[in-house]
Amino acid sequence: MLIEFFFPMPKAVTDTNVTLRSFVTIVSATALILGIIILTISHLRKISRQESEWYYSIIYIIALVITAGLGLTGVRNTNFLWIYNNMTAPIGVALYSLTAFYITSAAFRIFRARNWSSAVLLVCGFILLMMLIPIGAAIFPPVVPIGEWLRSYPSSAGFRGMIIGTSLGIMGLGVRVYTGRQKEHMGIREERAEVA
Amino acid sequence: MSLIKKLLDLDQRIIFLVLFVALAFPILNPVMLPMAIQDYSIQAFEFADSIPDGSIVIIEGGNTAATYPQCGPGLIAQIVHLLRKDVKLVFFSIGAEQQVWTQTAIDTAISKLPAGVPAENGVNWVNLGYIPGGESATAALANNIRSVVAKDYFGTPVDEIPLMKDVNDATAFAALFWWGGSEGSIPYGVRQFVGPFGIPMSGSCTTNEVPNYSPYISAGQLQGLFGGVRGSAEYEYLLKLPGPALGQAMATNFGGLWWLILVAVGNILYFILRTRGEA
Repeated sequence: MLIEFFFPMPKAVTDTNVTLRSFVTIVSATALILGIIILTISHLRKISRQESEWYYSIIYIIALVITAGLGLTGVRNTNFLWIYNNMTAPIGVALYSLTAFYITSAAFRIFRARNWSSAVLLVCGFILLMMLIPIGAAIFPPVVPIGEWLRSYPSSAGFRGMIIGTSLGIMGLGVRVYTGRQKEHMGIREERAEVA
Repeated sequence: MSLIKKLLDLDQRIIFLVLFVALAFPILNPVMLPMAIQDYSIQAFEFADSIPDGSIVIIEGGNTAATYPQCGPGLIAQIVHLLRKDVKLVFFSIGAEQQVWTQTAIDTAISKLPAGVPAENGVNWVNLGYIPGGESATAALANNIRSVVAKDYFGTPVDEIPLMKDVNDATAFAALFWWGGSEGSIPYGVRQFVGPFGIPMSGSCTTNEVPNYSPYISAGQLQGLFGGVRGSAEYEYLLKLPGPALGQAMATNFGGLWWLILVAVGNILYFILRTRGEA
């Protein structure tokens, strides 16, 4: 599949890759079901042993039974959609919105120009936020070209470097997994010799 | 304790309360302030506008409950925009929750369409629903749609959907619109549709993710990008279809200004303390 990404390949190879990719879809769907089963077993165990805060696990079990039960009758089921629209959605929105409050409070206390590097970060952050709020350009027009430059060059360059670094790391990890040098993903932990 | 130190130790409940008022007031009492349209949004709008009438496009709907309020209005505006041009729309999602929000956006957009604009399910649009597998699923979809999708969101077999009759792979589409929310999945489209098939693409994401995708715009791999609620508001403005995003964008004005004031005041007070040797 890697080679196919860079070079044109015969149809037989392309067709095999299409089949392999559809396997990923099936495995991913199965993994989702497996994840639910394992999580449920873990919560049931917690309830039966009455471990700390076991009562929260009862809420999980009740929520799972009701939503999964209704969802299995169809994702367009009115009751299922009611739960989704009136419980899941507001909780998700509220959780995401809360970050705005904590970020603002944290910025007031921590975002300080204590040295040159934090001063550069502060100025860049200030300019970018001024550019991103709709009225920013009306208050101080130069924030737009300066902000665009910051976003297009230093930020893009840094992000590209990060992507290349991450990709090389993933490739390295892949090679280690395929050669059997990385076994942690299978739950195998090897004792490493301590360096004196 | 000096006044400056007291101010620097300001109770966070006061910060929260002022921020709440700053965000809630413009939503409850819409105030229109001047707004400059960002280049990325203009590019994305012009790209969508340049799609030939009657062509077929594919749209990834990646908004969740958390991101729908900021990116959902933009997706609604795009659906209205494309259906008005008689462009046929094929939707899919790479997340289970996202498929529900995609359908919500479709339903809302249809309710906003002017009378006489056709928007029949299976003819003008189809929602293929959730396709598990992330980037691998995107790759499989691009190469052979039927290898990963048997039925649409409503359970109709793909082979019985008129719109899907001659649609087998990425080559059937004139463009890809990736409404990724905060999935971080826009590169999937770039790598699996733009690179191998040369399908032009534009995207949408939450505001914080915009800098991550600027390299793709500079490289021409993305034709434009709508960022967060401001991007959605700009789409509504450019399409002359006022909606919830415009009100929310005004709220970000006041919220953002409060943030800037706090950071500026915090730093000024910190410098005063430092020059006095008290910091």
